[in-house]
Amino acid sequence: MNTELHTHGSTRTKVAKLLIVAGFTMAASQISFSQVVDSEIPDLAGTWDGGGRARPINDTTVPWGEDNFPKLNERALAYQEVWEETMAPKYDCQPASSPAIQYDPYHMEVTQWPDRVLFRYEKDDQLRTVWLDGRQPTAVDFSIQGFSVGHYEDNALVVTTTHFVFDVAGFDDYNGIPSSAQKVVTERYWREGDDLKITLTVADPMFLLEPTSYTTRWIPARAGYKLAAYDCDPESSRASVRFYPSKYK
Amino acid sequence: MNKPNWLIAAGALVFAGVGVLVAPVIAHHASAPFYDSTKRVEIEGAVTRFVFRNPHAFLYLDVAGDNGQTVEWQIELGAPVGLRRVGWTPDSLPLGMIVKATGQPSRADGSHGLCCVRMTRQDGTPVLSGGRVEERQSDQ
Repeated sequence: MNTELHTHGSTRTKVAKLLIVAGFTMAASQISFSQVVDSEIPDLAGTWDGGGRARPINDTTVPWGEDNFPKLNERALAYQEVWEETMAPKYDCQPASSPAIQYDPYHMEVTQWPDRVLFRYEKDDQLRTVWLDGRQPTAVDFSIQGFSVGHYEDNALVVTTTHFVFDVAGFDDYNGIPSSAQKVVTERYWREGDDLKITLTVADPMFLLEPTSYTTRWIPARAGYKLAAYDCDPESSRASVRFYPSKYK
Repeated sequence: MNKPNWLIAAGALVFAGVGVLVAPVIAHHASAPFYDSTKRVEIEGAVTRFVFRNPHAFLYLDVAGDNGQTVEWQIELGAPVGLRRVGWTPDSLPLGMIVKATGQPSRADGSHGLCCVRMTRQDGTPVLSGGRVEERQSDQ
């Protein structure tokens, strides 16, 4: 009995100590969070224009040109040998993914919440969630857009995305370079005056000999602009495919 | 390929002032795999369909040939999500409207496709008003 009382008393003491420690920890993390809010979280929120007013339109040499065109391994080169344009799943309305969707000449909306950042793309009606709360992907979190985690540092948002599904044209929209489930895309977003800047780096040891990067910008959308629905139409998406002189019978 | 009613010219064509640039093929795919940028074709015909859907709008014209046969041409335009921003709507090119278009012909043998076009009404005036055209050219 005494032992039980002693035990209960000891438990109460431990609980009290734990509460005190927890209180200090919570207070400390709030102080830490507010310091991050004040000094390191850039204001990325808003609707941004990634069209021709902001940067050159994407093409076979944009944004991957002479200086940053990826060094392909033999496996990637073999894929390019069998590749032809109409194999790209975009002709069936499969959405673009990283690193192409960031350079598509459309608008994008950014929303910053305490535990996540949302990137909504006009192109292909895509929504990416960048988790800031420390969660990590599970083994089955594969998707077209992958799984994104991020953090703020030095007035920038740093995003790392993994768990992409294989895509026969997953590197960009123009050069027939595939991407694998090993693709890792790192993005760094920051403000420079009115511009939203990004440096994006792609690594994919399945197809690339080394990582490669581009840097570009968005400008503020015209006042009042709202993202339009893309609503990709499969018939329109494939309408020009019949004009392609296929090398396959 | 039978092209009695349109001009084919290799190399660059100088477009005289009144042309209206209608959305280049951008953003979704490159035009080069489907269309030959070293050639130009000019056609004139009546609108039979205007499919105003993403990722690319398509305009269909009935074009009369010298042999009396009518050939349907398919013209690839820009993305409606961008065209709408500069004033285009599904009603911009009503059925039966006569338009002139000059652009790059499709590559596949026997096909009748055109892209990257400059397009006007039959009298050479812009399809849309000039201010919007100027904005269109700088917008994407």
